[in-house]
Amino acid sequence: MKQHLPVLLLSLSVPIIALLPLPDFWIAQLNYIGLYALVSLGLVLLTGVGGLTSFGQAAFVGIGAYTTAWLTLNLGLSPWITLFIGLGLTAVSALVVGLITLRMSGHYLPLATIAWGLSLYYLMGNLDALGKYDGLLGLKSLSVGDIDIGQGRLFFVLCWALLIAGAVALINLLDSRPGRAIRSLKGGTQMAEAMGISTFRYKVTIFLIAALFAAVAGWLLAHFQRTVNPSAFGLKMGIEYLFMAVVGGVGHVWGAVVGAALVKLLDDYLQVALPAIIGTSGSYEVIVFGVALVLVLKYLPDGLWSVVARKFPRPPRALNWLEAEDLPVRSKPAPGEPVLVVDNIRKQFGGLTAVNDISFDIAAGQIVGLIGPNGAGKSTTFNLITGVLSKTSGRVTFCGQDVSQLPSREIARQGMSRTFQHVKMIADMTVLENVAMGAYTRGHKGVLSAMLRTNQVEEQRLMKEAQRQLERIGMGVSLHEQAGNLAMGSQRLMEIARALCSDPALLLLDEPAAGLRHKEKQALAQVLRQLQREGMSILLVEHDMDLVMEVCDQLVVMEFGTLLTRGTPAEVQANPAVRAAYLGTEH
Amino acid sequence: MDSTIASILLLDGLTSGAVYALLGLATVLVFTVTRVIFIPQGEFVAYGALTLAMLQSGKTPGTVWLLMCLAVVASVMELVERWRHHGNPVRALQSALKTLLIPAVVAVVSIWAAPQQFALWVQALLSVAIVTTFGPLVYRVAYQSLEAATPLVLLIVSVGVHFAMTGLGLLFFGAEGFRNPSFWDDRFALGPVTLTGQTVIIFGVSLSLIVLLWLYFEKSLRGKALRATAVNRTGARLMGISTHASGQLTFLMAALIGALSGLLIGPTTTVFYDSGFLIGLKGFVAAVVAGLSSYPGALLGALFVGIVEAFGAFWASAFKEVIVFTLILPILLVRSLRSGHSDEEH
Amino acid sequence: MKLKKTLLALAVTVSASTAALADIKIGVSLALTGPGSGLGIPMQNQLKLFPQTIGGEKVQLIVLDDATDPGKGAANARRFVTEDKVDVIIGSCITAVAAAMTDIAAEASTVQLAGSPVGVPAGKDKWMFRLPQSNTVIGYAMVEHMKKQGVKTLGFLGYTDAYGEQWLKEVAPLLDKAGIKLVATERFARTDTSVTPQALKLVAANPDAMLVVASGSGAAMPQLGLVERGFKGKIYQTHAAATMDLIRVGGKGVEGTFVSAGPVIAPDQLPDSHPSKKMAQDFVNKYDKVYGAGSHNQFAGHAYDAQVALEKAVPMALKKAKPGTVEFRTALRDSLETMGRTNFAHGIMNWTKDDHWGYTMDTAVMLKVVDGKFKVE
Repeated sequence: MKQHLPVLLLSLSVPIIALLPLPDFWIAQLNYIGLYALVSLGLVLLTGVGGLTSFGQAAFVGIGAYTTAWLTLNLGLSPWITLFIGLGLTAVSALVVGLITLRMSGHYLPLATIAWGLSLYYLMGNLDALGKYDGLLGLKSLSVGDIDIGQGRLFFVLCWALLIAGAVALINLLDSRPGRAIRSLKGGTQMAEAMGISTFRYKVTIFLIAALFAAVAGWLLAHFQRTVNPSAFGLKMGIEYLFMAVVGGVGHVWGAVVGAALVKLLDDYLQVALPAIIGTSGSYEVIVFGVALVLVLKYLPDGLWSVVARKFPRPPRALNWLEAEDLPVRSKPAPGEPVLVVDNIRKQFGGLTAVNDISFDIAAGQIVGLIGPNGAGKSTTFNLITGVLSKTSGRVTFCGQDVSQLPSREIARQGMSRTFQHVKMIADMTVLENVAMGAYTRGHKGVLSAMLRTNQVEEQRLMKEAQRQLERIGMGVSLHEQAGNLAMGSQRLMEIARALCSDPALLLLDEPAAGLRHKEKQALAQVLRQLQREGMSILLVEHDMDLVMEVCDQLVVMEFGTLLTRGTPAEVQANPAVRAAYLGTEH
Repeated sequence: MDSTIASILLLDGLTSGAVYALLGLATVLVFTVTRVIFIPQGEFVAYGALTLAMLQSGKTPGTVWLLMCLAVVASVMELVERWRHHGNPVRALQSALKTLLIPAVVAVVSIWAAPQQFALWVQALLSVAIVTTFGPLVYRVAYQSLEAATPLVLLIVSVGVHFAMTGLGLLFFGAEGFRNPSFWDDRFALGPVTLTGQTVIIFGVSLSLIVLLWLYFEKSLRGKALRATAVNRTGARLMGISTHASGQLTFLMAALIGALSGLLIGPTTTVFYDSGFLIGLKGFVAAVVAGLSSYPGALLGALFVGIVEAFGAFWASAFKEVIVFTLILPILLVRSLRSGHSDEEH
Repeated sequence: MKLKKTLLALAVTVSASTAALADIKIGVSLALTGPGSGLGIPMQNQLKLFPQTIGGEKVQLIVLDDATDPGKGAANARRFVTEDKVDVIIGSCITAVAAAMTDIAAEASTVQLAGSPVGVPAGKDKWMFRLPQSNTVIGYAMVEHMKKQGVKTLGFLGYTDAYGEQWLKEVAPLLDKAGIKLVATERFARTDTSVTPQALKLVAANPDAMLVVASGSGAAMPQLGLVERGFKGKIYQTHAAATMDLIRVGGKGVEGTFVSAGPVIAPDQLPDSHPSKKMAQDFVNKYDKVYGAGSHNQFAGHAYDAQVALEKAVPMALKKAKPGTVEFRTALRDSLETMGRTNFAHGIMNWTKDDHWGYTMDTAVMLKVVDGKFKVE
C-alpha cells in the first residue's frame, strides 16, 4: 500500500486542482506540462532505461497530430476514432523505422533518429495536403457527447489522467518479467541473451511504446492548440523532449514529469522576468536558458528526481509469494547419459586460431573442469558452446539436440545456463530481481500483462524460485540488497543463483572462484557438490587448482587453443605435458 | 543533365563537402578524446566568419567581450578548485592567472586593432585567434567537472552550450547575415568548370589540416597522449597525462578548425548567427558515418554528404534535406552491421 | 548605440510598469529569436518608440518573444488574454505564428493586429486585421512592371518556408493573367552554404527574368548565385528584401535589381501628391534617427502603422467604453472597421467590416537598386 501512496496522492490532486479557483493561465501551463511529460515518459523508457538515445520522438508526435488534424478536418471523423487511427499509423511507422535503425549499435542510432526526424519534418512541410509550412488550422477541441472538453480544466483532467495512467503502466512494466529484460538492455546484450531474452525484440518493443506515447501526446496537442504546424515536430522539439527527460532524471519515470515541468516553467519565467530585469526581451532568454541547463546538469547529472529518489528510497519488496506454486521443472537426462558433446569445434579470427578442433563430452551428473594457462582459449570455447560466438566449424550437441547454429538465447532456452568471467548484472536492481531474471524463460507474461498488472500470479512464482535459489547458494539474507552494493564474491554467487533459476540441465561457470576468499571457496565447493548430488551437470573454467582438483570428476586441459589432454584430476596432475604447459619445464 | 552541369555540381558538392569534412574531423576529434558529442561545433564556424565581418567594418566584435567574461569565469573556477584541491592559495592564484593570460592578451590586442582596419589577412588571423581561445575556456567552464558523466548527460550539456552560444550570437551580430571578402579573387578554368581562388584555398586548407592532424596523432607525443586519454582515461592519468589538459587541448583544436571553416565559407556563403547548426549537423553526420572514430572515413562521409546535397538540390530543391537525410539511413545500416555489436559501448 | 537602445528600452519598460488600472494594455508577440528574428527585431525596435499615451490614457506594452514558433505564439496569446487581459494584441510577424494566435484572440474578443499577411479560413478573421499588404498587392506592382518590361518567362527562387510558399501561391494567378509563364521553380534555405545547383537549373531554363523570394540579407546569396551562373536578365526581389542588408551583403552584384515594396522604403523620392509620403517620411526620420541612417525597413514600417491605427481608433473607442472591458475591445474593433480611409506609412488603409486586408492594388511601389541605394522607378 505504501508503494502506491505517491500515485494515489497525485491522482487525487488532479481533480482537486481542477476544482480550485486557479488562474486560467496556470491551467493552460499545466496542460502543456502534461503533454510534454507524456512524450518525455516514452523517452524515459527508451533512453533512460533502455539506453537508446532518440531525437525522433517529436516526429511521432507529429504523426499523431497530423493524422487527427487531417482526418477531422477533411473527413469529419470523431477525434476518438482518429486517436486509434493515429496510434495505428504511428505503430506502423515506428515498426518500420525501428526494425531498420535498432539493428544499429552505439552512435548510429541517435543519428538515425535525427535523420528520419528531419526527413519527416521536411516531408510534412512540403505536402500540400498537410498545409505545407502553414500547417492545418481550425481544428475542433475534444468533446464527449455534448460536453466540450475544450482547453481548460476538463482538458487538464483528461490530459493528466492519461499521463498518470501512462506513468503507472510504465512503473508496472519495469517491475515485471519483461521489465527486467528491458532494464538489462542498457548494460549490453550478452547477459540478457544468455538468459534467453531476445534483446532486439525488446528494443523494438520499447521503441514502439515510446512512439505510441508520443502519438497520444500529438493527438492531445492537436486538439488543444487546434492548429498543427510542422515546426512543433522538428529536430529542435525532439532535442527539447530529450533534455526535459534528462534534466528531470532520465532513469526515473517521474523524472519525465519533473523535467517537463521545470523546463516549461523556467522558459515561462525567463520570458516574463528577464525583460523586467534587463528591459528587453529576445535572445537573453535563450542564453540564460542554455546556461541554466548546463548548471542543472553540472550539479545534478542524474537529473532532479534523483534527489527525491535518494531521499525516499524504495521500500523493500513485500514477501507475498510464500503460498505460490512452484514452477514446472524441466526433465533432465539420467545419470551417465551424455549431456554435452563437443565435436571438433574451431574458431578462427583471421589468421589466429583461437580454438583448434576441441572435442570433449560431459555425462549427466558430472563436473568437468576446463583448465589451461592464460590465453589457452577457455573463455572462447565457452562462448562457442553457449552460442555467444559463431563457430568456424564443428558441432555441439546438447541433450541429443544439435545446437551448433543456434543463438545464445535459444541455447539458454534448451537448458544451458552460464555465468560470466566479469560479473554482468544490473547494479540498481536488487539481488532478488537480478536472480529472478534468470527465470525469464520459465515465465510467459508479456508487456501488456505487465502494464495492467495481471501477471502477479506468475511474478510470485518467479520470485519464489529466485528466493529458493538464493537460499540454496547461501545468500538468503541479501534478497533486498542492491546488487551493486555487494562484494565481488557475493556477486559471483548471485550469478550462479541466477543461472540456476533457469532450471538448467547443464551449468557453465566461468571462473566462479575468482576473487573469493578461502572460506568462500570452500562454501562454493560445497554448493557445487550439492548441485551434483541433485543431478546437475557442470562445466567449470577455473584457475584455482585446489578447487578444481577437489570438485571435478574430469578435466579438459587446453593450451594455445588446442586440446592437450583429458582425464581424471589424478591423471592430469601426473601428465608431464600439462606440467610443462603450466610451469614451462622442458620434458 | 549534361557533363558540364554534372561537373559543376560535383565541384560544388566537393567544396561544401570539404567544409563538412573539417567539421566532421573536429566532431570525431572531440568525441574520441572527451566523449562529448559537441553540437556547438557549428557555432565556432559562425563566430569565426562573423567576427571577421565585424572587424572588417571596424567595430570590436562582441565575441571579444564574451571571451573576457568567459576567461574571468574560468579563472575564478580554476582558483576555487585548485585552492580546494591543493590547499595552497598561491598555486591556485597562479593557475587562475595562467588561465586568464592568453585570453586577456588576445582581447586587448583585438580591441586595439579593431578600429585600425588592418589588412584582410591580419584581421583573419585575429578572428581565428579570438575564436580559438574560446575552445579551452568552453571546456573548462562547462565540461571539465563532468568528465565522468555519461555521454547522454554530456550531450545535453552540449545542447545547453549551443543555446547559449546561439543566443549570444544573435546578441552580438544581429539577425542579419554577413559576407566576407574573398581571400583570393583569381579564377582558373579546369575543363568545363571554373575554379575560384577561394575554392582552391578551401581544398588546400582541408587537405593540409587532415594531413597535419594525422601526423600529429601518429607521430607526436602529445597527440599520442590524446589518443591514450580516449582509450582509457584512468590509464592515461596513471601515466601522467592530464585529462583536463587533454580536454582543453582538444577543444582548442576543435575551435581552431571551426574558426578556419568559418573563414573558408565566409566569402561564398551569407553567414547568419544560426548558420552554424545545420553545417555542424552535416559534419556530425559525416563523422557518424565514419563510426565517430575514423578520420579518413569522416572525410569520405563528408564528401558524400556534400555531393548528395548538390545533386539533390538540383533534382528537387524543395526536398533537398529529405534526400540527404534519408540516404544516410541505408549507409548507417550497412556501417552498423559491418562494425558489429560492441558490448562494452554502453 | 547599444547603450542608448538599452536605456531607451529600460525607460519604456519602467514607465510602462508604473501603470495604473485604466491603462491601455497592448500585448505584442514577435519573433525575436529564431529564423524570423530578422523581421521581429526591427518591429520591436519601432515599438520601442511607441508613444506613452494614446487618447489621454497611459499605454502599457508587453512584448514577448515567440521564437518563430506557432506553439509559443499561441501560448503568448493565451497569456495575453487570460493573465494580462490586454486590450489589443499585435503579432506575430510570421504568418504561421499569427495564424495560431487568431482563434485565441477571437475567442477572447480581442483585436489582433497581425504583423504578417496571414491567411485564415473564411470568416475566421473577424477580430484579426492585417497590417502588411498581402503578397498579391505587392506582387501586382511587380507583375505590372514585368509586363511593361516585356518579360514573357519567369524563373522562381524562393525560401523553402511559408514565405516562399505563399509568394508562389499568390503570384501564380497574377502571372497567369499577365500572360507570363513560370518556367522553373527552385527552393533554398536561408542558411544553405550554396545555391549553385538551383541556380544552374534556373539559368538552364533561360527565362527573361528571375524572381527571388527571400528576406533581408538572405536575399543576397540567391541573387549572387544566379549572377555567378551567368544570368544576365532582370532580377526581381520581394518586399521582405527591401532593406539595406540586401545591398550591404550583395554589393555590386545586386545593382539594378527591381524591388517591389511599400512606400516606406524611399519616401523622399515619392511625388508630393502621394498620400502616404508624409507618414512614411515621419516614420523614416524617427526610426533612422534612433537606429542609424538607412536602417528602416518594411517590417518596422508595419509596427509604425500599428501605432497610427491605434492612435486613430483608440480615442474613438474610448468614447464608448473604458479600457480593460470587453465593450472597449468590441468598440476598438468597430472603430478600426469604420474609421475609413487612413493614411498609413505603407499606403492608404481601408479596413471594412468585410475586408480586414485593407490595402488597394495600387499601394506597392517599384524600386530599383541604383548606386547602392533604393530609387523609385
